[in-house]
Amino acid sequence: MGSRYLIRKVVGAAFTIMLIVILNFVLFRMMPGSPDRILLRNPNVSAAAVAAARARWGLDDPLPIQLVDYLKSTATGDLGYSFKFHGEQVTDVLLSRLWPTVILFGLGEVLAIIFGLALGAYSGWKRGGPIDYIGNGISLILYSMPYFVIGILILGVFAIGLHWFPTSGMLTIGGGDESFGSQLLDFLGHLALPVTTVAIGLIGQYSILMRSSVIETLGEDYVTTARGKGLTSGRILRSHALPNALLPAVTLIAINLGYVIGGAITVEVVFNWPGLGTLTVDALEARDYPILQGIFLLLSISVVVANLVADLIYGRLDPRVRA
Amino acid sequence: MTAGAIPEATIRNERLRLRLKAIRSFARRFTNRPDGVLGVLVLLVFVILAVAPNLFVGDLQTATTASGASLDPPSATHLLGTDELGRDILNLTIHGTRISMIIGLLATIVTILLGVFVGIVSGYVGGRVDVFLMRITDFFLVLPTFVLALILAPIILDLIGANSSVFGIRVTLLVIVVVIGVTSWASTARIIRSQTLSVKERAFVGRARVIGSGGGHIMWRHILPNVMNLIVANTVLVFGGSILTETTLSFIGLGDPFAPSWGQVLNAAESAGALGLGAWWYVVPPAVCIVLVVLSFTLVGSALDDVLNPRLRVRR
Repeated sequence: MGSRYLIRKVVGAAFTIMLIVILNFVLFRMMPGSPDRILLRNPNVSAAAVAAARARWGLDDPLPIQLVDYLKSTATGDLGYSFKFHGEQVTDVLLSRLWPTVILFGLGEVLAIIFGLALGAYSGWKRGGPIDYIGNGISLILYSMPYFVIGILILGVFAIGLHWFPTSGMLTIGGGDESFGSQLLDFLGHLALPVTTVAIGLIGQYSILMRSSVIETLGEDYVTTARGKGLTSGRILRSHALPNALLPAVTLIAINLGYVIGGAITVEVVFNWPGLGTLTVDALEARDYPILQGIFLLLSISVVVANLVADLIYGRLDPRVRA
Repeated sequence: MTAGAIPEATIRNERLRLRLKAIRSFARRFTNRPDGVLGVLVLLVFVILAVAPNLFVGDLQTATTASGASLDPPSATHLLGTDELGRDILNLTIHGTRISMIIGLLATIVTILLGVFVGIVSGYVGGRVDVFLMRITDFFLVLPTFVLALILAPIILDLIGANSSVFGIRVTLLVIVVVIGVTSWASTARIIRSQTLSVKERAFVGRARVIGSGGGHIMWRHILPNVMNLIVANTVLVFGGSILTETTLSFIGLGDPFAPSWGQVLNAAESAGALGLGAWWYVVPPAVCIVLVVLSFTLVGSALDDVLNPRLRVRR
């Protein structure tokens, strides 16, 4: 791919990350009370730690120098101390909550992409057919439901009503001495409902996206040409329409990631899943600003990076955008 | 050709006739979309509930005026049961309509004003201003705005205090309105900018410039009326999105317990552990209302988009 395209995209993403970090700095200053007042209010941090943090953040320097220092400490992963979690480093708290969220949303996204794109592609192909009619209706309804409403309904029916799955958490409490196999089963049992919720919440959007993308592609000249050559409609769909329809759909999925993360936080709350979402809500209740800022930084940088990756893949697959 | 040759009244009549014709043709095309019409009807019902909730269920019940026992299942006196404080769920849900709709409306106004202003200025002025404004817009498009809203809301609340009120509206609600508006204008700005770019190339804009109209006048009198179609369709879609965001923010605990929106009711149900106690009647009514309203806004919005968006209309 053209190196100019690559450089432009990488520079753009770096610029955005820079803006995010600066925004984080500004929000930090806006906070009620100066940063060290907040640190002092926290009884779990010793006086020596406060003095060290003040020196490290350069709180006695003028603002521009503070900004530079702030950038330095952020770059080295020093995000300050949590109020709520006994003065732990924000980075450590975030890391310990990261992987449950990655598993939950990684798996949910994969399921939603497979089923959503398949449903959308089929609906668009058989436009006006019964599957399209029902599928599009259901997709629109799902699209209008906040994730936590889907979660509450699923929880109510399958965990509380039918007792098929556990209601909350990630592992059964007090089940530590079992074999690895039964622990894994326990984990999967707890994972099933939240993952289903995330997947169902996304399937609606993805299928609507893919449907319109397929319909658009089926109107292109090369599809008419393929039809003129006498290809079967299955062959046209597989080798002509689908590859071209997939491209914009996948990009839009990457762009939508930011919205998805936000709404999906609530799924963790409904199922009490010990990830970043429940951490966010706990931090909100305790007004634990360092944690909140850390989460904002982590999530927004991940979204920017995901967008960059999507852009680069798109550039690799579609020569037209490189120009 | 002089304008004096045609009497003023004829011009006025002609203008009126054209406008009526446009409205009639719009109505005809819109009523061809049964999903859009259905959405309008559902929204009408909710608007009536929002305007006069007291007519249907009386005043909003509080912990002290609660009329039933704790978590009563649906019965003849409490059609949808009661919550953990004994408040009637039907009462809460119908009053929630008003709060959800008002927050949605105000947040939509903020979003649309910001988005339209940035979009028109960026598209019309162009150059460095355009580059600068679009950089900011792209930044807000990429940002997980909901997470930004999550940290902005408590910061602003702590700065100004949660219990004050402005013009009789509680500050917590206003903060939610501002936060939703500030974090969701970007896509509107993009849409309006691209339409502005095409409108400003039309002949009448050039003519207005030739007779000496200033930039502000042209944007206000010539560009704005010509992007109005898009603004209308976008407003309806943004309205649904705002209600969705408000619901999620309240559910997470950023709402106002003294002015319960649907999200706030669900938040209360969650903290009371209503589902675990089998109190489905606490959860289902607000959830159904949210889905109905947001779905209707989506249906009306996409029907309007099809009817009003010139780009889509040419294609069919």
